[in-house]
Amino acid sequence: MLFFSYFKDLVGREVTVELKNDLAIRGTLHSVDQYLNIKLENTRVVDQDKYPHMLSVRNCFIRGSVVRYVQLPPEGVDIELLHDATRREARGG
Amino acid sequence: MVLGVREIRFSGEPVLDRDNGEELMRVQPGTDIVLGNLPRESPGTLYITTKQVIWVSDVDKTKGYAVDFLSISLHAVSTDPEAYPLPCLYTQIDTEEADDDLSDSESNPIEQDLSNVKEMRLIPSDPTQLDTLFAIFCQCAELNPEPNDDEEEEEHDWVFSADQMVDEEAEDEDYISHNPVNSIGQSNGNHDLARTILELQINDRRFEDAEEMDDNEDGTHH
Repeated sequence: MLFFSYFKDLVGREVTVELKNDLAIRGTLHSVDQYLNIKLENTRVVDQDKYPHMLSVRNCFIRGSVVRYVQLPPEGVDIELLHDATRREARGG
Repeated sequence: MVLGVREIRFSGEPVLDRDNGEELMRVQPGTDIVLGNLPRESPGTLYITTKQVIWVSDVDKTKGYAVDFLSISLHAVSTDPEAYPLPCLYTQIDTEEADDDLSDSESNPIEQDLSNVKEMRLIPSDPTQLDTLFAIFCQCAELNPEPNDDEEEEEHDWVFSADQMVDEEAEDEDYISHNPVNSIGQSNGNHDLARTILELQINDRRFEDAEEMDDNEDGTHH
């Protein structure tokens, strides 16, 4: 639940989603659901030489289970807030 | 569950697994399909169900392909002619095969091994339908979350659940044997009546305590 509510706060920001097959896609976070499925807009592939055919797609839906990392914009990371949230989550409250 | 694209043979329309809640979401006639680096196949009809995507050739209506939504790791609307000459719905397929296998399938085009197909493009004759198809794919993906998120193997999940059930039953038995209320209700002897009266007395005493507490509180207020 922590990740879900955190990612919801990041809607509208630029993120880079790295998939388990090494493909990394950068785009504006459009939405995220409870399974951490991610919808991106105005996407582009980070490593364009390796994946030329994915040069640009208008919008993109990524299955939560294939996501390895999500790179966040530094200004979207409130360390204090995250710290509190993780502590609360660890306490189970 | 079978990962990846599979070739299917049937007569007439695709049969849905309605007992397991599979429903038809959309039929999109006039849709071409491109699997991996294989040649484009056309024309065909696309059936989107709550569980899978099925493409049936219009030329040979017994021939088609199916892929479960569980295997579709990504889908996107591709309209850039540099990415692909025609506007299409681009999908990536999770095959759980090593990436190196891709070159093998290219070198041997006669024996088509669909288990290596990692990409699928769906090209509707009417490109204005792409956004609708994209939205339906999103909807269906959300209907198909990972069945075994916490467990490595589905079979382990079953064993684990069975153990849990046994434990829960044992706990229930403990609860019944230690709970005096149940033994009172089980027979109508005088002994039980006596216990009921005893309980009433306890309740009375509790009631008195509560009143005293209220009095004390009143005292502090005034």
